[in-house]
Amino acid sequence: MNEEHGGAPPDEYVEAEIHRLLAEDPDVAEQGITVLRRERGLVLYGEVESPHRREEILRRVAERFPDVPITSDIGVIRAQAPTQVEELP
Amino acid sequence: MIRIAAVGDVHVDEDVVGRFRPALEELPDCADVLLLAGDLTRHGTESEARCVAQEFGNLGVPVITVLGNHDHQCDQVPQVVKVLGDAGITVLEGTGMVLECAGGRLGVAGVKGFGGGFAGRCASDFGEPEMKAFVRTTNESSEALGKALRGLECDLLVALTHYSPVPDTLAGEPLEIYPFLGCYQLGQAIDSAPTALALHGHAHHGTERGTTPGGVRVRNVAHPVIKQAYSIFHLGDHLVG
Repeated sequence: MNEEHGGAPPDEYVEAEIHRLLAEDPDVAEQGITVLRRERGLVLYGEVESPHRREEILRRVAERFPDVPITSDIGVIRAQAPTQVEELP
Repeated sequence: MIRIAAVGDVHVDEDVVGRFRPALEELPDCADVLLLAGDLTRHGTESEARCVAQEFGNLGVPVITVLGNHDHQCDQVPQVVKVLGDAGITVLEGTGMVLECAGGRLGVAGVKGFGGGFAGRCASDFGEPEMKAFVRTTNESSEALGKALRGLECDLLVALTHYSPVPDTLAGEPLEIYPFLGCYQLGQAIDSAPTALALHGHAHHGTERGTTPGGVRVRNVAHPVIKQAYSIFHLGDHLVG
């Protein structure tokens, strides 16, 4: 029992379930998010195409595992024009 | 010289429309063609395909794509292909086409491809029906790519896939999932023709550069890897133009 967070630290099954939830939940459908188990909870990192998707991931995971502390390090991928070209002689 | 712009895994839905467009408007000045390496949508619905058409249609350069695994999720592939086709976006699947560019004739052959793994660590056409069906999908897809590549008459040949033809560009992904990210048979197909460049997506945590065993340059152009709207490659210095 981890009193600080009100529950046991997340185990491998929680990690697996979240990983599948991110891919299989139609509201998320993300396969590029990594779930890292740490002593004090889970860290989600990766990149998505919009801020809305990042928020949705956190909302769905928190809804399914309300007692698991989640830290998010998910970025939104930049979509600017390239400034350099790759020459392939 | 031929100028190729490419990106994959853009996963467009309503919330993404407009994000790529400012960069895409610059394409006519810097590229002869835009190649999309699959996973255009999140779930492969007709409505998402309309968002893709809005974002990537009418660009002033030809747009050629393959589909990805996400584009198959809702079993609406025919509708997705039609919406894209109506917007002037050509979808390749075991097929190819030749574009007349200022710098020469560019041949592009494409296929979604499939998983299976890489030499010495791959799935075999053996055992349960499900396993055999998996590997036969890999084989058939790769054979279709090889045939399409070898059938094109052009000055510069490019292979376009969603799944990776080599492990090099998967570096950064967990080793355990390599068999779900690509297969060596796609590399073998690419090496069976005088391919100048192979482009793929799918591996969001992978890396940009690799080569096939035959020495063909491979680039992972998944959007999370390149971190820009598209990459541009200049090829065919030997060509006039």
